[in-house]
Amino acid sequence: MPGQAQVRLETATAFCPCYRMAQITGRDIVDLFRLIALRLSEGRSELGALDGAIGDADHGNSMAEGFSAVVRATSAMTNAAPFELLMVAGRSFLSAVGATTGPLYASAMLAAGRDLEGKVTLEPADVVRLVPAFARGIAERGKARPGDKTMMDAWGPAARAATDALNAGLAPARCLSLAETAAREGCDATRAMVASIGRAARLGARSLGHVDPGAASAVIVIAALHEWLADHEAATAEGSG
Amino acid sequence: MASGLGGRPADDAAVRMPLRFGDDPLLWASWLYYEEGLTQGTIAEQMGVSRPTVNAYLAEARARGIVNVEISPEKFSGLSIAQSLRDHFGLQDCLVIPTEGVERPLIPRLGEAGARVIARILRSGDTLAVTWGRTVLSLADQIGPLDLKDVRVVQATGGTTARIPWTPEACASTLAKAINARAIPISAPAIVSSAEVRAMLMQEAVLAEQLAILAEADKIVMGISSLRPESTIHTSGFLDGTMQLAHYQDAVGSLAGRFISARGEPVIGPMHDRTIGLTLDQLRRIPQRIAIAGGLDKVAAILAALRGGYVSILVTDIATGRGILSAEGYREPPRRSAPQSDAPLPARMEVKKFINDPKDAVDEALRGALAAHEDLIAPVPGSTRAVRAIDGPRPGKVAVVIGGGAGHEPAFWGYVGPGLADAAAVGNIFASPPPDPIIAATRAVQGGAGALFIYGNFSGDVMNFDMAAEVMEAEGVTVRSIVTTDDIASSPIELRTSRRGVAGNVFTFKIAGAAAARGLALDACEALARHANARTYTMGLALEPCSLPETRRPTFALGPGDMEIGVGVHGEPGVERRGIERADACADLLLDRILSEMPASRGDEVALLVNSLGSTVNFELYIILKRVRQRLKARGLRVHRTFVGAYYTSLDMAGVSLSMMHLDPELKELLDHPCRSAALTILPEERITAKAT
Repeated sequence: MPGQAQVRLETATAFCPCYRMAQITGRDIVDLFRLIALRLSEGRSELGALDGAIGDADHGNSMAEGFSAVVRATSAMTNAAPFELLMVAGRSFLSAVGATTGPLYASAMLAAGRDLEGKVTLEPADVVRLVPAFARGIAERGKARPGDKTMMDAWGPAARAATDALNAGLAPARCLSLAETAAREGCDATRAMVASIGRAARLGARSLGHVDPGAASAVIVIAALHEWLADHEAATAEGSG
Repeated sequence: MASGLGGRPADDAAVRMPLRFGDDPLLWASWLYYEEGLTQGTIAEQMGVSRPTVNAYLAEARARGIVNVEISPEKFSGLSIAQSLRDHFGLQDCLVIPTEGVERPLIPRLGEAGARVIARILRSGDTLAVTWGRTVLSLADQIGPLDLKDVRVVQATGGTTARIPWTPEACASTLAKAINARAIPISAPAIVSSAEVRAMLMQEAVLAEQLAILAEADKIVMGISSLRPESTIHTSGFLDGTMQLAHYQDAVGSLAGRFISARGEPVIGPMHDRTIGLTLDQLRRIPQRIAIAGGLDKVAAILAALRGGYVSILVTDIATGRGILSAEGYREPPRRSAPQSDAPLPARMEVKKFINDPKDAVDEALRGALAAHEDLIAPVPGSTRAVRAIDGPRPGKVAVVIGGGAGHEPAFWGYVGPGLADAAAVGNIFASPPPDPIIAATRAVQGGAGALFIYGNFSGDVMNFDMAAEVMEAEGVTVRSIVTTDDIASSPIELRTSRRGVAGNVFTFKIAGAAAARGLALDACEALARHANARTYTMGLALEPCSLPETRRPTFALGPGDMEIGVGVHGEPGVERRGIERADACADLLLDRILSEMPASRGDEVALLVNSLGSTVNFELYIILKRVRQRLKARGLRVHRTFVGAYYTSLDMAGVSLSMMHLDPELKELLDHPCRSAALTILPEERITAKAT
């Protein structure tokens, strides 16, 4: 939606003028939620199979249903600011899902919403910052440590990679690309971990060799963020060029 | 070579085939199977063909004479005689050993075979009766320690003369010691001087108690004595020649000091009323009766015992077995070729379900439950996933709010009603409810005395209930949370607080509900609910996984011969997988784990729940229960109440969980407190009495 991107020069990033056109509105955020919901929906049977090995095979459905509920709750909020949408998203995700995933992603979105409070539009780097914000919210609520074989084993490395890349001055889409890679590696690493909290914990050593479903869905969410931002930048570049 | 069996292996496999097999896949398959001992699956991989093809290769290899399967004539003879004896006399089983021993005489070899049989069939909690004689003592001398618990070995009769080594006392005590069982003697002579003396002795409390245990025997191991002059019955001083001539001319054999005719009927003589021990009627009622006897002089006696139905498992030798069969005029029916083994059943892939749209399933099921039990429960206005009891809120009463994911029906709405929970919140399938319905439920039923949340220890439930508790506290309602941890399979005992809450929840709901119904304060209700949880133990076992409405596929794969031990209540896999066992062994497995943790002493009382995980029917639950009760009796634990059925399920999972609450007077009283709900109703005492009269 390049035409709808509002040009707000005063908040554009200083270090890279080419992102000026890439201002992100509430509508864009709903669009982002839609993409995440779509990618999770496509991955639901794959996630279910992962979960079946060590959980109850419902994680894929929970994630897909949760983000569908987010899209339903936010799509009519045409004039809302991104932070308001994130707050509503968190609450609607929680009500739709419950379970463990509900409070964790609700906390993630509420943490991100609080960070962005007051901003009417976002710049691309703010989308990158969603990753560390989500990770912080999840960590505070779930209290999982690295190596516990949870979604944090994907969110944690992704958050660190995203922050490092931003600090290094890399382009936002590149930052999310690195975050996605880190999430994938973190997710793969859960194969070698023995679950110690969450539902898979009861399996003990039998959870070895299986990827944690929560880490796998985290990869899908982070990859969707990357995909969306890359498309957005490309479209904006075209629109402005 | 062209076989029509799916052809030759693929070309690349042919390349892999070692030259020495001369391009003959039948020979290659046969070699791998019979000489290298590989499984057909491994062979299929090695040859690059399917398993059925390997199976077909092997069949054809036998048909073409590439492979000759031959059982040694001696073993074959033993097998076929055993099968004939089993078929003809309707035995549970029969073991026939070679008559000519290479090194050892028949009696020790029969004893050794008997020891193997006992080791195979004896189970924890069994009471095993034992007679006396050379063969029985030989068995006792050769049996090794068995890994069994609560086994009792009881003498089948009183004692005999000590002039022989194989007295009843020696046989029973030697056997008990060898297998680490408790020995129960019969503290009286087997034969007393008169019927009057016997009657007097039988009134002695010690003897009466011992005989009562004997009457509870599940199994008996016995010799069969002939009435030949050198037989046990004579050498042990039981019967003298004069007595035999005068009164026992019709008898051909003796079992446990009682006499039988050739047709197997009891021969009642003057010794009958002077014998202290098992009667023939009692003997025949023992479920498993193992006779160990061989020697041509015993053919008549063994045949009589078989005809009379006194034996269910026979251990003998080839010559004796053949003698019995020919005495019976039994002719072996011509053998048919062995039936083809059945092809494995196709694995259940898509599971059929009564579902409209999977997305609506939870709400629709809940609406149906509310309609079915409209006299007990109603929806909380404004929330589709909160259920409250019709009677309430009662001012000043602690509100008990329970909840968890859907898919555990009749949990959780099934435990809402007077004397139980006041409200329940229901989540998605196997997913904790979010805070909203928990808050709505609590608001609807709290009566100013605080609320007690009770739910299973799952990270999602803890987070959502905690979030709801924060909101309620902010509204001025004091909330205490009981996180149940009865699933002993989920963590070792040192990590009890990290265990999951499963079917034992029913007991904790019941105790908390009764405490609240009695008007106890929140502190007291909380303490009692914690106490109930601490004394409740659950262990589950699945035979088939469950399937979700959305996917209609099994949540995990379980091999056709496998069972999953310590399975969770969300269709998640368990802690261990092993080959499926008989119902009694399954019950033992569950019970032994519970008993290993529950600090119960003889005479303590428990409440039992044998729970279906979903699709296992009551018919099987009762078989499990039978064994559990048998074991608890052997352990000296009393069962105050027993619940059998689907109380806490995992959708359509096949399997069972066993929950046991270790009662104390307080818990017992609260358990008996009346309650009424869709899944659990306990009537007041007076109503039970009224019904009975």
